[in-house]
Amino acid sequence: MVQNINKILFIFALVSVLGCNAPQAPPEVRLAEEQEYNLWRSGAEIYVPIEYNQYRISLRKANEDFIREKSRFAWFRNYKRVESDFRDILQSGYQIQTKINEQKIIKSENISNQISFLKSRIETLKGLTYKINEGRHARKDLIKAELLLSEASLRHESKDYRAAEEKLKDISAFISAAEGAILPIFDRYSDSVQIRKWQRWYEDTVAESRDKRIMVIIVNKSERILTLYKNGRPFRAYNVGIGRNGSADKLHAGDDATPEGRYRIIKKLPRSRYHKALLINYPNEEDRKNFILAKRKGLIPARTGIGGLIEIHGGGKDSMTYGCISMDNNKVDEIFNIVNIGTPVTIIGAVGYNNSLSSAIEGLQ
Amino acid sequence: MKTIFKYLAFGIFSMFIFVSCSKQPAEEINAAKTAVDTVITEGAEKYAPEDAKKINDELSAAMSEIKAQDGKFLKNYSKAKEMLVKVKADADALRSGLAAKKEEAKNNAVAAQDAAKAAVEEAKGLLSKAPKGKGSKADIEAFKADIKGLEESLAEVQSSIDTEDYAVAADKANAIKEKAAAVSEQVKQAMEKVGAKKK
Repeated sequence: MVQNINKILFIFALVSVLGCNAPQAPPEVRLAEEQEYNLWRSGAEIYVPIEYNQYRISLRKANEDFIREKSRFAWFRNYKRVESDFRDILQSGYQIQTKINEQKIIKSENISNQISFLKSRIETLKGLTYKINEGRHARKDLIKAELLLSEASLRHESKDYRAAEEKLKDISAFISAAEGAILPIFDRYSDSVQIRKWQRWYEDTVAESRDKRIMVIIVNKSERILTLYKNGRPFRAYNVGIGRNGSADKLHAGDDATPEGRYRIIKKLPRSRYHKALLINYPNEEDRKNFILAKRKGLIPARTGIGGLIEIHGGGKDSMTYGCISMDNNKVDEIFNIVNIGTPVTIIGAVGYNNSLSSAIEGLQ
Repeated sequence: MKTIFKYLAFGIFSMFIFVSCSKQPAEEINAAKTAVDTVITEGAEKYAPEDAKKINDELSAAMSEIKAQDGKFLKNYSKAKEMLVKVKADADALRSGLAAKKEEAKNNAVAAQDAAKAAVEEAKGLLSKAPKGKGSKADIEAFKADIKGLEESLAEVQSSIDTEDYAVAADKANAIKEKAAAVSEQVKQAMEKVGAKKK
């Protein structure tokens, strides 16, 4: 019996000694665990989802093999295959990390370029909004675009490129809306048909002044200048204000646009709500034709009238009117004494292609 | 005979030990999985992404351990059980801390929202005092449109708070505050310009 116990003790001691010499877990297991965490932190799911998923599958399998191997009796443990698998995994992990880093650099540069481009675009459009009274229609969208740009910049700085990209995507809609609100107005001022028509009116009016040796008024909306011509030559010039939507041609009542065309002074009002006023004969024949045509096309609401009471009046050159031309009171005093009933008044958008509104959008589109 | 009986008893005892440990710890698996799912649903990935990743990995390691044992003749799930118990404990701990993290994020967002509202109100107040009429009407209209845009964006801040996107809400609110301050500054400058002209 004692002999048996001795034998058992001997075997136990032998197993213990040999068991202590069991192979240690390969260091690659721990390294791979850390690597996987670092890859995740680097955004592997976002930048290289397919490769990362493949990597995780391989890692999971290798871990299972490792656990299986580890749970074997010490004598039978052999980590050689597991070690080799983990080395392969580490290798692919390094490659994934390199890819992530490369993609991040590309993304960061791309986002940075987009931010610069959009910032400049917004600044340009904001600049344009100051040039026309209609600019206010675009401001709301532009400020929303600016807000998103600030958010995108913050996200970019904190290296959250995905969120930055999402913000940038949303900006385009606001910029497009802002452009849609103001660019068609600017486009009119570089449209050749429109400009030729204005040039013709301008030349005919100056010729009338020269031929009939009379005083005429020409209002240039893009430059916001009212010029008095005497005997075909510029006599005096004044800065003026126009309608709230003054850059557009007046089509109907309530559109706040300043009409374009050849008119005459039909009434002089020495006492007006806006100091003094010179009433012109808007709508003329052409205005009526345009109004009827627009109504037929359904561009004007059925009950809307053509409007009227367009004046050159006081109240300040920077005022935004309902379509009239406004001047400083002392200036309207001056012309009130110079012009007469019947004096031609020609209102044009611009005299030539190089006007302040067409040049403002050069290179923008 | 006595010795044989002893060996037999030892064998039966050993068998009992092995059999008692050979069943998958289904209860622990379910408990751990439910705890992890709950904390993820409650926004752990949003508010504590690193902790969320940690418990997901722990769960995955525990499941690997189970899988390894499944393939063995003499199964022993005691380690897997321990791991699962730890996963559940960690998930529960994260869950209890998550509410505080969410609350903190919410408070930050609400504070940023209040500051943005105040900045917009200040800009509005300044604009209402701006001299109307000569020389400033177009500017006032432009600033009014700017403020309208900011007010509409304030509503988006509230939407983000409602959907618990507190970081997004705070970012937007901060951007609004900054922009409103810029508008106020522009209004002040315009007012000073008009004031200077009057002199």
